[in-house]
Amino acid sequence: MQPLTAPSGLPRSAAGRGLRRWALAPRARPPLPLLIVGLVVAALSVLPIVYLGIRAAGTEADAVAFLLRPRTIAVLGSTVALGLIVGAGTIAIGLPIAWLTTRTDLPGRRWWTVLTVVPLAIPSYVLGFAFVAAFGPRGALQSLLEPLGVQRLPDVYGLPGAACVLILASYPYVVLAARAGMLREDRSVEEAARTLGDTRRMVFRRVTMPLLGPAIAAGTLLAVLYALSDFGAVSLLQFDSFSRAIYLQYRATFDRSLAAILALVLLGLTLVVTFGEARLRRRAREFAGRPARRPVESVTLGRWRWPAVAFVAAVVGLALVVPAVTIAFWLIRALGQGETFRVGLEPILGSLGTAAAAAVLATVLALPVALLVARHPGRPGRIVERVSYGAFALPGIVVALALVFVATTALPVLYQTLALLIGAYAVRFLAEAVGPVRATLARTGLRLEEAGRTLGDGPVRAFARLTLPVVRPAILAGAALVFLSVVKELPMALILGPIGFETLATEIWSTTSEGFYARAAGPAAVLLVLSAGAMAVLLRDDAR
Amino acid sequence: MSAVRVPTGQPVPALRIAGLERVYGSIVALSGVDLEVRQAEMLTVLGPSGCGKTTVLRLVAGLEQPDAGTIEIAGRRVTGPGGSVPPERRRVGMVFQDYALFPHLSVADNVAYGIRRDPDRAVRVAELLELVNLPDAGDRMPHELSGGMQQRVAMARALAPRPDIVLLDEPFSNLDAALRTQLRGDLREILRAAGASAILVTHDQDEALTLGDRMAVMVRGRIEQCDPPEIVYGEPATPFVATFVGTGNLVHADCRLGVGMTRLGPVRLVGASARIAGGALAVIRPEHVELEEAADGPAEAGAWRVVRRRFTGSEILLEVEAPDGLRLWCEAGPAVRRLRIGDAVRLRLRDVETVAFAPSRTHQPAAAEPAPVAAEAVVER
Repeated sequence: MQPLTAPSGLPRSAAGRGLRRWALAPRARPPLPLLIVGLVVAALSVLPIVYLGIRAAGTEADAVAFLLRPRTIAVLGSTVALGLIVGAGTIAIGLPIAWLTTRTDLPGRRWWTVLTVVPLAIPSYVLGFAFVAAFGPRGALQSLLEPLGVQRLPDVYGLPGAACVLILASYPYVVLAARAGMLREDRSVEEAARTLGDTRRMVFRRVTMPLLGPAIAAGTLLAVLYALSDFGAVSLLQFDSFSRAIYLQYRATFDRSLAAILALVLLGLTLVVTFGEARLRRRAREFAGRPARRPVESVTLGRWRWPAVAFVAAVVGLALVVPAVTIAFWLIRALGQGETFRVGLEPILGSLGTAAAAAVLATVLALPVALLVARHPGRPGRIVERVSYGAFALPGIVVALALVFVATTALPVLYQTLALLIGAYAVRFLAEAVGPVRATLARTGLRLEEAGRTLGDGPVRAFARLTLPVVRPAILAGAALVFLSVVKELPMALILGPIGFETLATEIWSTTSEGFYARAAGPAAVLLVLSAGAMAVLLRDDAR
Repeated sequence: MSAVRVPTGQPVPALRIAGLERVYGSIVALSGVDLEVRQAEMLTVLGPSGCGKTTVLRLVAGLEQPDAGTIEIAGRRVTGPGGSVPPERRRVGMVFQDYALFPHLSVADNVAYGIRRDPDRAVRVAELLELVNLPDAGDRMPHELSGGMQQRVAMARALAPRPDIVLLDEPFSNLDAALRTQLRGDLREILRAAGASAILVTHDQDEALTLGDRMAVMVRGRIEQCDPPEIVYGEPATPFVATFVGTGNLVHADCRLGVGMTRLGPVRLVGASARIAGGALAVIRPEHVELEEAADGPAEAGAWRVVRRRFTGSEILLEVEAPDGLRLWCEAGPAVRRLRIGDAVRLRLRDVETVAFAPSRTHQPAAAEPAPVAAEAVVER
């Protein structure tokens, strides 16, 4: 096999080979097992998508005509409109919240800092369910107002409802990005601009905004990506973006290759956004200053104090309190009417079982991949890293569809099996398991193992005794992230799950679609508790 | 507030600071600081970290406000009773410790930042990049530059608007030693070519000594002395300065009529210390002492013993101990470079001029330092 990276200055003689095997230098060629695991994982992420392309190309229908149909164009228009509105909405909500919680004397800002980010843990379809079950026809608000003579509420379905729900679900991306930028900002850069003749206002325009811009834009693109990829909220609110159109096409017709074509268009759209996000993030990193050494002076809000609190409270109210109250309302209603209140054991077991299995599998794969990426920064590591990040950014509906094609044609043994679903989850969410481990490995470096080697440990022993204990919390954090993602995941469970297979997500989705809000409330409550639990574990690790 | 020209017969100093006070909570950062920088002069401010020297620069730049005192830049009152001119109208150029280059702007745009209204700014930028010896770096981004190059861009950016005074905050502290020495010379020439007046604060005494036309020594928010470097070294104003700048031994001396009699011999006292009568502490520099190998070895009566040896490349310093325990740092001349620890030596004072501090003076500002209180003491830096 050809060496993929230059050996680190060691002679390429036989003696050199012997030496190189023991070298700890980070550029040393990756050990074969790491390389194999990494490349297999990368291949597993990419191949289904390639297969999707082959399938779309092989369609008997006229693909171009299909793409140019008014309906396809309309879906594209709707999807782009949704993306733009969500982008604008998340900036409008996220930017003020970031500024209020980092740069002002907002009362209770430590609480708001946490509360405004929590919606990230709530799946879009739970928010969608809450929205429909609260404000929709036959929803909670309607049934409370009916005695007062209110017959109809404004329609929640379609673009307004979908955009509202997705903005509330994804604005924390903008908050997180903007907060990070504002906290990292180098104060002396602004001071330098002052000494060079700029007023405060000019400094804001010429230095502060250009420096924060890329980070905020990257956060906004993450929110847009979330909206483009979302399946749960748009389908519950009956808005025809690509995800829903793909699903309907897949369910409705025998020629699934048309669904494949739609999926490819959505894939292209998300890849463009992902690429833009990555570029902006790199730029933001170049701009990042050292953490401020002097405490940043905070702006006194004065009489704007309480309007500011009201604004933040309204956002938190809509994103957290409305879902909680709605779920509680329907739970109580269900109990009161003596309706069979049961959260079947099956969906719970389905969710927990797949999530646990996928988390274990992803964690097992993550360690070699993280080692490869963190310690062998050659081409294989870069490829594996990009591919696993890319797989994470793909819309679930696209991945699900691609895997259906692979399974039905190439691997019928796996079609409609839990093994396929679990494997798909592990590969799709691998980036979440790799991330923390990789960061910890990079931070730890090789110093510990080098110290161990000088004290008489062999390479494997030194790794097991010294590095492994250091990265263990990161491994657990990664596993928790994967677990949380799988529990929340909807479209893959819906499409890839065996017949009769149920998870909390599919249960909420199908009962809400059919209008049985009381039956969706139970699973939604369980899901919220599970998400909150996993989130609490992550936050506690963070604090430590 | 309006710029008030202070009428005076002499050339207006580039900077005049009087009675500057700054308090952070219960910490007094500056108390009664007076300083003056003349036209085209480089004043270095030397002090241990946390002595308040960076605060002086930030107050001059207007980035912070003093609790009392006045600041005049080129004759214009910028801080004082009645108000404060904002930083953007002070005409100061500041070079920050971490350079604070604008990461989103190219080198040329960084340099042009403060002169965007100048129609000839392209010419001026090219001229400045030439001056700092980076003529081809205009299109590069700050993160692509080495630390030394970033530092020079920061210099060019600060000089571009032709400020009345340049403020340099530890400009070499983020560079490695070899680069530091080279850039020190470059900086001096750049400022001289630009005809700029400047203050440079540093904790590195070599920097302060070699770069300053005059240097101020600062400790605990006070200026201990402000004089040309030769005077600061040769006639330190306080025991703190004597031991902080260079290596200084403080040795008991009986002073009368401008002569101090130490156990090693007499020294001639200069300046105010010529008038001291009675016991005092005389400053003995390592180069004031001549060493000689004791002929009879350790057995010789009154012989000193070498207890420590410090080799700096260009010179050798030896710490010697008297039979009664007094220790002194001495320079080992060519004849005695081979002396090792444990060897016995004889000491002789050269014919030198130095200063002494009467006991009351030792209780002056630096009294809070681990200053000599006993009749005889030696402080090593």
